[in-house]
Amino acid sequence: MQGTLFVSQTGLTAQDAKMTAISNNLANVNTIAFKKDRMVFNDLFYQKQFQAGAQMDSQNQRPNGLQIGTGVQVIGTQKMFVQGTALTTGAETDASIIGKGFFQIEMPDGTTAYSRDGQFHVNSDGMLVNASGLPLIPQITIPENATGISIGTDGTVSAVVAGSAEPEELGNIMLASFINPGGLEPIGGNLFIETQGSGAPNEGVPGEDYFGIIKQGTLEGANVNVAQEMVDMIATQRAYEMNAKVMTAADEMLQTLNRML
Amino acid sequence: MDKLIYTAMSGANRSMLSQQVHANNLANVNTTGFRADYERAHSYAVGGDGFSTRHIAVPMGVGSKFSPGVLEHTGNELDVGIRGEGLLAVQVNGQERYTRAGSMHIDEQGILMLGQFPVLDMDGQQIEIPDYRSISITEQGRVSVVPDSGGEVLLEVATLKRVKPETANLVKDAEGFFRPRTAAASLPADDTVAVASGFLEASNVNPVEEMVAILTTSRQFELQVKMMKTAEELSQASTRLIRPA
Repeated sequence: MQGTLFVSQTGLTAQDAKMTAISNNLANVNTIAFKKDRMVFNDLFYQKQFQAGAQMDSQNQRPNGLQIGTGVQVIGTQKMFVQGTALTTGAETDASIIGKGFFQIEMPDGTTAYSRDGQFHVNSDGMLVNASGLPLIPQITIPENATGISIGTDGTVSAVVAGSAEPEELGNIMLASFINPGGLEPIGGNLFIETQGSGAPNEGVPGEDYFGIIKQGTLEGANVNVAQEMVDMIATQRAYEMNAKVMTAADEMLQTLNRML
Repeated sequence: MDKLIYTAMSGANRSMLSQQVHANNLANVNTTGFRADYERAHSYAVGGDGFSTRHIAVPMGVGSKFSPGVLEHTGNELDVGIRGEGLLAVQVNGQERYTRAGSMHIDEQGILMLGQFPVLDMDGQQIEIPDYRSISITEQGRVSVVPDSGGEVLLEVATLKRVKPETANLVKDAEGFFRPRTAAASLPADDTVAVASGFLEASNVNPVEEMVAILTTSRQFELQVKMMKTAEELSQASTRLIRPA
């Protein structure tokens, strides 16, 4: 059958996938610490019709081969870990990471998930938890009579307790980092989990090495560039239309063949 | 049967192949670093009895267009676009291959990769990146990092291998990477090729040109099928003429 039909089909599929990624990026434009996705496309394999140097007849050889592409392939998505915009909130349990690290969050099953979202809350037990109520690792418990919490750039959490002039040290927030953060698997809820592709996490103290520092009273916004996404959306829509047009053209050719002969 | 039907068929066949090449170009209109393919045919005289009036169309080698694509800013320091001519070297199935699609990443072993293939340095070796705080790539392809251990001192890791062959001597392999047309193992590195970090080169497909080519081939195909129909009618007419009464 007509190879063109299948080639244009791969084009339509790829543009459709790209559109889904763009709409997801735009939908999360106000999600704290959201990292945008980028679609990665590759050309599909090439069919070799004739080998260069093949004999055309007893005397002549083909100077060139002929190989025909079979379309486009969606290789996958790539999370872009560019720093998001800094949002100042002033809330004392908000923290953002300036640098490469991740907060460590304990999942209900005991495993560790990683997040850049530092919008913490204090639960009924006084523990620092994320917006879904999952505790931070290492656990930090705020005493009931605390009047103010402060988080240092190195992750030291301390609280001023009523009736005491000296702030009380409550613990340290530790960060994790990955050699290839792009390989982390997003599981929703602003969380990522380790995969083979990301490598094992390295745990460290904020401000040391390459983990980045913690800024209290700020949050990291999504790193989605709205204008860029809109432009990508228009380009993708037009590419989709053109691939659909190719499909029609190929279909008309087959129709002609059937009608005339 | 008249040979006309075979010449018409070779033309129709060529139109179908040609359309697939253009469809592939259009399908890759958003593929980073993609180079559009040409399609051309060659007229080939078929010998035999009678006058030498039979020339069939033989589809010939698909070269690729090397006109530059637009360098788009991505801000990602591991994206490199090539300024002007040149290609980056990667290792594909043990052999050196070349590409303009510079969206690199670092894998879990710390190796600099392009898709699933390692990027090569000036000596044709894989590039291992140590744990770093920040990474930068200069115009000359030098990859430097501020390592996680040592303050603010830049550590030069490697230089990306860039080559600048005659583009006419390049062909695409089955994976879509370029290789020299001759069986040469690898091309010499060329330090004059400049790269731009934080940019990616878009596909150089001209969508208007491709659309027009698709529509033209569709119509040509119709004409060729019409010729086949005419050949059939001619043949029917002669059969009628010589049919015994």
